Amino acid sequence: MKRFNIVTIVLCSLWLAGCISHPQTAEEFRKAVPAAFSAKVETFEVDRPFSQVANTFQKMGPNCLAKTIKMTSQTNTSYQVIVTTYKPTVLVSAKKAELHVQFHHDQGVVKVSKEPVGGYYLLVADASPVTQTKTRIDLYRPSMGHGVLIQAVKNWATGENVGCPDLTK
Amino acid sequence: MRDKRRTHGRSAIVALLFGSASLLTACSGIKTYDNSPSKNLYVRTATDSGAWLSRVRTAVDIHRVSAKCATEYEGTVQLNEPTIEIGLPPDRWSRLVFVFATSSFFANRSGTVTYETLLKPRPHYRYDVAVSYRGDMYHVAIREVPPNRSTGRELDRIPLSACGAPSVSK
Repeated sequence: MKRFNIVTIVLCSLWLAGCISHPQTAEEFRKAVPAAFSAKVETFEVDRPFSQVANTFQKMGPNCLAKTIKMTSQTNTSYQVIVTTYKPTVLVSAKKAELHVQFHHDQGVVKVSKEPVGGYYLLVADASPVTQTKTRIDLYRPSMGHGVLIQAVKNWATGENVGCPDLTK
Repeated sequence: MRDKRRTHGRSAIVALLFGSASLLTACSGIKTYDNSPSKNLYVRTATDSGAWLSRVRTAVDIHRVSAKCATEYEGTVQLNEPTIEIGLPPDRWSRLVFVFATSSFFANRSGTVTYETLLKPRPHYRYDVAVSYRGDMYHVAIREVPPNRSTGRELDRIPLSACGAPSVSK
């Protein structure tokens, strides 16, 4: 009986690890998102030159997203503190600007699968020039939650209402 | 005799409450910034939590930055008025940490986000700071205005990690 329990636990652990393995690079994240249950790809064009979009990603990404956030939630029976560190990466070339957002839970959440260096991938935004005045955005993003972050990145692309997202929301 | 004892008891409770409050204030670590009389930082604040029974409090923590880039907390200014004037020492680096603390009564949740930058005010220059929190987005913009001018230039954010770099050590 004891041996049976151990085998069951090991098999379940392996199955869980296989099922919820996370992308380890931005490229793996892009490939995984279309088939993922809780993520989606959104593509749109903005009436803004590519260089301006790239500049906004370069300025706002580190200013707004390189942060450690502490959140507390409390009920009658529980008190939870979650500390999360976000890591933005902006890569710009002549034909593409990439914004990668990763996150790492410092406190309050148990890790269930291997975490990439810098944290799990949360969002990737790719900007590429269409014409001199238009830019295409491919947004690989969560389909549930993180609405404020998604809206902020869209605003950085359009150049309207440019601000930092309150990552506690 | 009984009245005297009751009065004595009340005084002891009041003294105990006063003592506890003083102790808690001291322990919280927050102190009011000792504002210099010559104001050079004009902070305009606009906040809207966007939801019923939730609120956002805004403040700025001011730290002195030494030549070796070590910081020393000098105090906090609560940005609880539409316009607040602050006096920062000119010709010296200060670290400004704008704090947005949100709380929701029903959700029993609270969170804090910060936006920090280094600033070295030039003598006789004015610094117009626009601080806003709306729709779960916040924004801080600092504009440097030379003497006898009405417009100036927007300053880029300088993180503490850039302290000591040749581009910011001027």
